[in-house]
Amino acid sequence: MISLDDAVKDELIKLASEKHVFLEGNISKCIRTEPNTKFEKYINQCILEDKDKCKKRLNITKKIQEQNRELVDWKDHNQKLNAKLQSALEISEKAKQIAENDLDILQKKTQNELVGSIVKVALWIICGVGVITSTLFAVTLLTGIDNKTVESSWSNMFSILLTNSFSIVGTIMGVKYAGGKNRAKCDNCKKY
Amino acid sequence: MLDSILLVDDENLFHLVFEDACSLLDISLNLMAINSAEAAEDYFVKLLEEDKPKPDCIFVDLNIIGSSFDGIELCRRINFVHGDGVVIGIISSSNDENEQAKAVKAGAQFWIIKSDEIEPRLEEFIKDLDGYKERTAPFRVYK
Repeated sequence: MISLDDAVKDELIKLASEKHVFLEGNISKCIRTEPNTKFEKYINQCILEDKDKCKKRLNITKKIQEQNRELVDWKDHNQKLNAKLQSALEISEKAKQIAENDLDILQKKTQNELVGSIVKVALWIICGVGVITSTLFAVTLLTGIDNKTVESSWSNMFSILLTNSFSIVGTIMGVKYAGGKNRAKCDNCKKY
Repeated sequence: MLDSILLVDDENLFHLVFEDACSLLDISLNLMAINSAEAAEDYFVKLLEEDKPKPDCIFVDLNIIGSSFDGIELCRRINFVHGDGVVIGIISSSNDENEQAKAVKAGAQFWIIKSDEIEPRLEEFIKDLDGYKERTAPFRVYK
């Protein structure tokens, strides 16, 4: 314990009464006092003032601690939510990609079917026209009717039909080749 | 009243809470707060090397974030490697009985549950302090 001389004690008491300045911290618990003196009252006052401040500070620190804890909890909560959102986003991206691929395949299939139908119809028309003109030409040959016009028409018609049919066959082959290539690409996309 | 206390806890705000609580309850004149297990071990070793007085009581957090070993291991090292006779215990928000059993094996004498209302637990603890100093008080959990 520390002993102070009377002059210092008086100065401390004067400071407290005039400017309300007290000793702070545990130092006031280490100063020797004589019972029932002015200085003992002063030291008790110092301890009380200090405890008061301590209590206030403790309450504030506890509040800050609680807020900190809440913030940390919120941070954890947000991180978990973010992770969930991220995984949901990835799943939806994958689903979107698959849907786009499926749509692409479907469109191509429809296009191929349409091209197939057009080609079938065109081939039927070509064959029909070929058969009709050939029959007409054969009839003129058998019956001996003048067939100069039919003959030239038949040969012209046949050459045009042949040329057209080759062009159609070429187109079909091209479309089928391109369709096959795209399908292979789509299959590769699915794999990866 | 204790002359000095050593608190080992990674949470700096808790250092302030603990210091003010100790001051309010007249538990200690001096509180040394350290926030890592390694630093606490080094501090203790230095005290022994320089033959300085050891703290009267050590409060160790269970999970000291940022340290390579936990509070129970620190308890064990202080008790069985660096010296004896120091009152040492765990201060933690956990109430895990398995951890408490490990702490007893490591030489911890008490377990204080850390919460907002730490003062009543410290008041209870101070009543048992003489028993801990004399090594006669059994291990106790302050809930």
